[in-house]
Formats: sequence, C-alpha cells, structure tokens
Amino acid sequence: MKKKLPMYLTTGILTFLALTWVFPVFVVLINSFKNKLYINAEPFKLPNADSFVGMENYAEAIDHYELLKALVITVFITVVSVAVILICTSMCAWFITRVKNKVTKAIYILCVFSMVVPFQMVMFTLSKIANILHLTTPWGIVIIYLGFGAGLAVFMFCGFVKSIPLEIEEAAMIDGCTPVQTFFKVVLPIMKPTYISVGILETMWIWNDFLLPYLVLDINKYKTLSIAIQYMKGSYGRVDMGAIMAALIIAVIPVIIFYLSCQKYIIKGVAAGAVKG
Amino acid sequence: MSKNIKKYWPLFVLPTFLAFIIGFILPFLIGIYLSFCEFTTVTDATFVGLTNYVKAFQDTIFQHSFWYTAAFALVSLIIINVVAFLFALALTQKLKGTNIFRTIFFMPNLIGGIVLGYIWQLIFSGILSQYSMAINLDSRLGFIGLVILVCWQQIGYMMIIYIAGLQSIPEDMMEAADIDGASSLQKLFKITIPMMMPSITICTFLSITNGFKLFDQNLALTAGEPGKMSEMMALNIFNTFYGRAGYEGVGQAKAVIFFVIVVGIGLIQLYFTNRKEVEQ
Amino acid sequence: MKKILGVLLSVLMLLALVGCTSSDGGNDAGNTTEATGTVYYLNFKPEADAQWQELAEIYTEETGVPVKVLTAASGQYETTLKSEMAKSEAPTLFQVNGPVGLASWKDYCYDLTGSKIAGELTSNDYALMDGDKMAGIGYVTETYGIIVNTKLLGEAGYTLEDITDFDSLKAVAEDITARSGELGFSAFTSAGMDGSSDWRFKTHLANLPIYYEYTDEGINDTDAIKGTYLDNYRAIWDLYINNSTTDPSQLSVKTADDAAADFVLGKAVFYQNGTWEYNNIADVGEENISMIPIYIGAEGEENQGLCTGTENYWCVNSKASEEDIQATLDFMYWCVTNETAVKGICGGEGALPSGEAGMGFNIPFKSNPESSNPLVNINADYEAAGKKSVTWNFTTMPSEEWKNGVGSALTVYAADQTDANWDAVVSAFVDGWASEKAATK
Repeated sequence: MKKKLPMYLTTGILTFLALTWVFPVFVVLINSFKNKLYINAEPFKLPNADSFVGMENYAEAIDHYELLKALVITVFITVVSVAVILICTSMCAWFITRVKNKVTKAIYILCVFSMVVPFQMVMFTLSKIANILHLTTPWGIVIIYLGFGAGLAVFMFCGFVKSIPLEIEEAAMIDGCTPVQTFFKVVLPIMKPTYISVGILETMWIWNDFLLPYLVLDINKYKTLSIAIQYMKGSYGRVDMGAIMAALIIAVIPVIIFYLSCQKYIIKGVAAGAVKG
Repeated sequence: MSKNIKKYWPLFVLPTFLAFIIGFILPFLIGIYLSFCEFTTVTDATFVGLTNYVKAFQDTIFQHSFWYTAAFALVSLIIINVVAFLFALALTQKLKGTNIFRTIFFMPNLIGGIVLGYIWQLIFSGILSQYSMAINLDSRLGFIGLVILVCWQQIGYMMIIYIAGLQSIPEDMMEAADIDGASSLQKLFKITIPMMMPSITICTFLSITNGFKLFDQNLALTAGEPGKMSEMMALNIFNTFYGRAGYEGVGQAKAVIFFVIVVGIGLIQLYFTNRKEVEQ
Repeated sequence: MKKILGVLLSVLMLLALVGCTSSDGGNDAGNTTEATGTVYYLNFKPEADAQWQELAEIYTEETGVPVKVLTAASGQYETTLKSEMAKSEAPTLFQVNGPVGLASWKDYCYDLTGSKIAGELTSNDYALMDGDKMAGIGYVTETYGIIVNTKLLGEAGYTLEDITDFDSLKAVAEDITARSGELGFSAFTSAGMDGSSDWRFKTHLANLPIYYEYTDEGINDTDAIKGTYLDNYRAIWDLYINNSTTDPSQLSVKTADDAAADFVLGKAVFYQNGTWEYNNIADVGEENISMIPIYIGAEGEENQGLCTGTENYWCVNSKASEEDIQATLDFMYWCVTNETAVKGICGGEGALPSGEAGMGFNIPFKSNPESSNPLVNINADYEAAGKKSVTWNFTTMPSEEWKNGVGSALTVYAADQTDANWDAVVSAFVDGWASEKAATK
C-alpha cells in the first residue's frame, strides 16, 4: 500500500502535464472556428454565438491561400525526397563500406563532416546553384535534399552495413548474384530497420523544413505548408488570424495521423537514430 | 568481392555523390570563397580580403546575438534534459497509460518550427495581454518564450532516447542493488546515471547544437523583436544576407564564423563520446 | 509494413502524374511565345495583387505575351527583389521607392528617356532621374492623412471645421476618450505595430517631422537628421495610442485588419491611412468618410494639406533580354493607355471585367480619369483651397533597417511611456539615421 500512493501521485502529475502539452494545439483548434477579430482579443474563450464562424476560416485558408495545393506540394516533396534519399544513400553507403579505398574513405569523411555544417553556411550559394541548374521545382528540390541530406543518411547506413556479416553477401555472390542483385535481394531486406529509422528522421526534417525550400523553390509557383503559413503572416498587407489558425490545424493534422499510424516505428526510429548519431 | 562490386560505382555511388556535390560541396567551397568577397550574386564577386570579417566582428548586434544564442542553448539544454530525464524515469515505472503519455509528450516534435512559433505566439499573447505585456516588447520575455517553446518541442524527443537508455540497464544490476539495501537515490546516482552517460552525452549535444541552429521558431515567434534584441545567430545571418543590399559578403563571413562555432561544439562532442567509449 | 509501402507508392505515382501534367501545361504556354519576349512584374503593392493578376491575364489574352506578376510580402520588397534579381529569370519590371532605392538598383535601370510611356506623363516631376538617365517613372500618386468617420464625429458633437491644428485635434480626441463609455466608440483605431500595419507610423507618420525639418533647412535630403520636430512626433504618437480602441501595450500584435475593422465597425472616429485604403473602408458609406491633415503642432500648420506623393517608381530591368525589355515597355504603355487597363487601375467598385474592384489609383498620366475614389477627390479639394501638400520625404529614409529600428522603439515606448523609452526612439531616429546613411553609402 505504501508504494501505491506515489504511483497515483506520479500518474496525476503526468496527466496534468499531458494536458498542458495538448493545450496549445487545443487553443489553436478552438480559435480556428472563431471570427478573426475575436482571436487576438480573447484567445482562451470557446467560440460563442458572436464569434463562431463554422468552417469559414478553413474555406478561406483553402480558397484564398491555396493551402491544399501547399499540402500536396509538401507531401510530394517529402515522399519523393525520402524515397530517393533512402535508395540512393543506402546503395552508396553499402558501396563505400564494402569497397575500401581512398576515394570511398574521403566520401565517408565528407558525409560525416556535412552533418555538422549549419545550413546558413551554404544557404546563399546553394540557392544560387539551384537556380542556375533550374532545380527550383518540386522535382528539382529532391536533388538538393538528396545532396544536403546525404550526410546523415550515409552515416547511419554505414554504421549498419558494418554490422552485417560479410559471409551472407559472399554466399549470394557465389550463387551467381550480381552486386545489384545481392544488394536488393540480400542487403536491403536486412537493413529494413535502418531504412525505417533514416526514413523517419528524414521525413521529420523535410516535412517541417522552411528555409531551404523558401530559398530554393520558385515560391511564386510552389509553396510548402511552412512557407504558405509564413506568407499568410507577412503578406498581402493583411493578416487574417482566422485563416492562419485554420492553416495551422491543416498543417498539424497530417502529422498527427502519420504519427498515430506509425507511432511504433517512429519511436523506435528516433531511439535507434540517436544511439548511432 | 570488393573488385566485383567496384565496377558498379556509377550505379551505387554516382547519384548520391553528384547530388552531394551540388547540394553540399560546391555551395560550401564557394561559400568560403565568397566570404572574402563583395558580391550581390555569385557571378559578380570581387575579392576584398578580410573586410567582411572585420565588419562582422564589429557588428554589435551580431555579438549580442552570439551571447543571446549561447545563453539560450545553455538554459534550454539544462531544462530539456532534466525534465526529459524525469519523464523517462516516470514512464519506465510500472504505471498505467505510459504509452499514452509517451505519445502525447513526443507529438510536438513532429510539428514544424514555423507552425510551432505561431501556435505559441497565440498562447503567449493571450496570457501576456492580461498583464499588459507582449512577447515582442521585451527580449527577456522573448527568451523565456523561446525556451518554453523549445522545451515543449524537444523534451519528448530526448525522453524517448532516455527511455531507450533506461531500458537497456540490466535488471539484475538493480536487483543486486536492492539486495545490498541501496536507497532509490543511491540507485539513481550510483547505477542509473553512470549507466546512462552515453544517452546523456548524446542528448546534451543534440540539444546544444539544436539550440545554436534555431531559426524557424525564432523567426515565427519574435522575429528578433524588439529591435533585434531577441535575434539569434541563425536569424541574424539570414537578415544580414537578405535584409539590405551590399551586405551579402558580411552575411557570408558571419555564416563562416557560425560554422566554426558549431563545428567547435561538434568536436567537443566527439572528444567526450570517444572518451566515454574508451572508459567502458 | 507492406501495406504502408503500397499506399506510399500509389500516392507517389499519383503525385508523379499530377506533376507531369501540370509541368506539360507550363511548357505549352512557353513554346508559343518564345520569340516575342515575356514580362515579369514584381509588384510592390500587396493590396493590388489580385487586380494586377487579372490585368496580366487580360493582356496575355489580347496580345499573347505572357505576363507573370509576383507580389512581395508586405515589408519584404527589397528582400524579394534581391533574391529574384539574382535568378536567371529575373523580373523585367520592378519598382524602387525613390532616390534611396534607386541608389541600390541604378545599374539595373533601363533608360526610359523617349519611351512611349514617358510621353504619357503629365509632368516630368514624376520621372525619377539618375543624372541624365530617366531611371524610373512614378505610376501612382497617393495621399494619406487622418481618415475621419464624420458621422461618429457628429455624434460626439463636432464637425470637421472644429479641427484646424494639433491642439484642436487633441482637444477633440481627448474629449471623445473621456466620454467613450457613453459614446460607444474611441477617437483612434488601434495603432497596430504588427508588420502589416507598422509602416503607417514608422514611415508615414515619421514623414512629418522630417518634412518640417527639411522645410526649415531648405533641403530635400540629408546625411544627418537633427530631429528638431521629434517632440511633436511624440505628441502625436501619444495622442494616437492613448486615445484608441486598444491598450497601448497590445499594439505589437494588432494588425492592419484590426485597425480597419475598428473603423468599419464604428469603434473609432479617426484612422490614419491613405487613398489606397478606400476599398477596405467603403462600407462606412461615402458620405461619412473624409480625410484631414496630420497635424503635429508645427508652426503654420493651419495651411498644411494632406501628404501627397509617390514612392512607386516603375523601372525596367536593363539586364533583361532585348525582347523582354520591349515586351515590358509595351505592357507598361498598355497599362496607362488601354481603356480596360486604366479603368482597372484607377476605377473603384466593379471596375475590372471580372466585377472585382479596381485599384483606385490616381495616376500621373494623361489618361487619368476623374477619380472614383472619394479620398483622392478630397485631396484635390485641399489643393484647390490653397493648402500646401506635404511631400513624401520618407523616400529619403536611409533604409528598411532604419524604419524597423524606429518601429521597434515606438512599440516599446507605447507599452511603457517613459522618457527613457522615448530617448530610445530619438536615438533610433537620429543616430540610426546617421549610421544607416553611412552603412548604405
């Protein structure tokens, strides 16, 4: 009995903390149904007869600020970039771990080095190069993401490849597999947990990234969610708080769905990623 | 086997390597070169030596942003890690609903910095307006606001790492300590914390580098107001670059200085992790 | 896991399809017009974004020349211009705000001397000269002052004639504040210092102390401002913030929308803004809207008129290809001569073919019709009555940095109105001026 009390106490405290954790998102949610003039004035009040506007803010955000288009662009960039990063960097990592020479060692060191370089260091030149090479589209930015995200991915894949026993691959080769077949039939399935870890980390980064797409993309045509929201605040001379609230919710919902459906993998991925990183 | 694979380098290495050159190596090298130049675009650079660096070091706002950033990184580092560690301890007890708690605490991590900034701006202005204050009137409030925001965002992440660390402590060690009659506090300081040192090192350095590189949240929450007094280094560099004509070179020089600082922290991290690994 | 992968793959393919089709569309448009040049207009005025987009479409329909219009976010024009100019497809038509803006961009300004559009100007005063070169052409003249809801002013027991200088303005405003509970409205709308609204004070209001100092000294630009009229600046700022709908400490989050809403919903009598704002406040009713000069208590201000000028000069990018320059010149000429275009630029309600409101501009070209914008006409009345318009000297403000510095200091001062905080405003104004002028040299 003695031990039970602190347990209840801990659960109580944790419940309270969990509620404060959800509170900010909840406040934004209730404000997304309020008229824009009531939002700054009384953010913590529930909508009432005067201030309730139903889905109007959502309609405004989607119609006027093209939030759905931004959502599609963000999903596109994230999915394609992560897929490309996973395939290309895992192949690269396997190659440079298996083929030991000066060049591959240099590539590995450069990759590790690139992990610590802050984006500000390259932002100006990177955006210029992207522009010169016409990589300012959602397709083009995939190449930039592959390049700038390669460091972490290669590093993590290398860490895993080192732990794969060589015998398995040798056996496959003796059975007549080409290196390409060996990679896709033998190595890739073994690396599945690492694919998930790297995939999760890169997804979190690219989905939420603001500055890189802001500087690289032709933002007249393509805005990601983060850019669209930043633009709502600073643009067109008007700040529509209602539409911003709706936009914040539109940006958060896919994240929550993604999180709840792949929670197990995300938490494992983060834990694994950190231990390696 | 190695020889066999070698022929396939265009397929395995080339795509990543080309993208890496475009996305990292070229911008990095040109960036270093441009920090010694005056330029408005990449093509019209003229060499000016160290002038940009002199201007960058003389910029008092830049100096201020360094101290502000360093203080921020330190304070957020301590709070995030202490709280995350406590959460991890609590959630590894046999409690009901640990999964739900873990889910909730981790969630903010997946929300982007810009979105986070605007969410918290609403909350802070709602609270502060009752005291006739606002977040962008006082750089101290901005500081506290940023710390709260970043804690909310990152505690869950560090917590997951700590939970993984705690779960890897062998049960029998704890049992042995119980038999020896060790108190909970003794167990914490004599067994848990020493065993957790790898996780602690990782988390502290993750949070300190995150603190130094913070940009989106800073931009969305305070945008440096009042009068650039809550401007952190990353935002200061961005504003120098894109804020006015003629200062691109100074911005690039600041970026190089920033890079050196962040790499310095990275090297210290490497040193500590290596030393810890040797000890084990 | 396989299921998830399957879903992801199908999403990917779907998106790939979408991506392909949309990019094909883009190519088609590009192919038909390669030979004739294209126009890329980087627009400064967020409030006119929709109208410019529509005019661009109409022009493309009529001539087949593609016109792309990008509008920079409020307060982000220089930043956007800089990053766009560095791109391979740079704007062919952009704008500078006057001599200070011109200094950074003169290498990019095509000489407009003798161009067709220059021939349409009503006066060469509206051309921005860089030596002998006509670097820019002002395309809109605007006026700002204090917009008044005369109906509410009447309810408070006053008429426009009661306000002739700063002291009478102050008396009226303070009387309204004293009785605001019973009247149900305040004197001023919120002086919002959010980025969407702060230019009304850090730029437009700050023009007045600069104007009077320049007039005293007989100059039109300076490297070192003295700040002779900063006490007046403080007085009018105090009046705005302490007699408004809003607690002065909350100004930093108040937006342009909030202030316009105060005015439209009848919560305030006075609203400092300009002719461009008319469409947003038309709901108050034309008969209830007037505009008075911004009095700051300077000597001889009974004869002061509204603030009239331009900070919008069109420049053509001299580094664009010859075809693009020609296409841009043609587009500009069309804008100020074509009937539909002029109507869209100058007209009010329903002036555009789509039924949208026009931009309501007053343009310094021969085609300028009598304005449908009552605020523009009020300015004409002031000029006819012999009042001296206040020129737009804020085009000589050293930089955006300077304006931001003054703006932040004003916000901090509003929340805590101490002398020390006002000294910070003075320092941002005077010292900031000197250092920014030096920095941008």
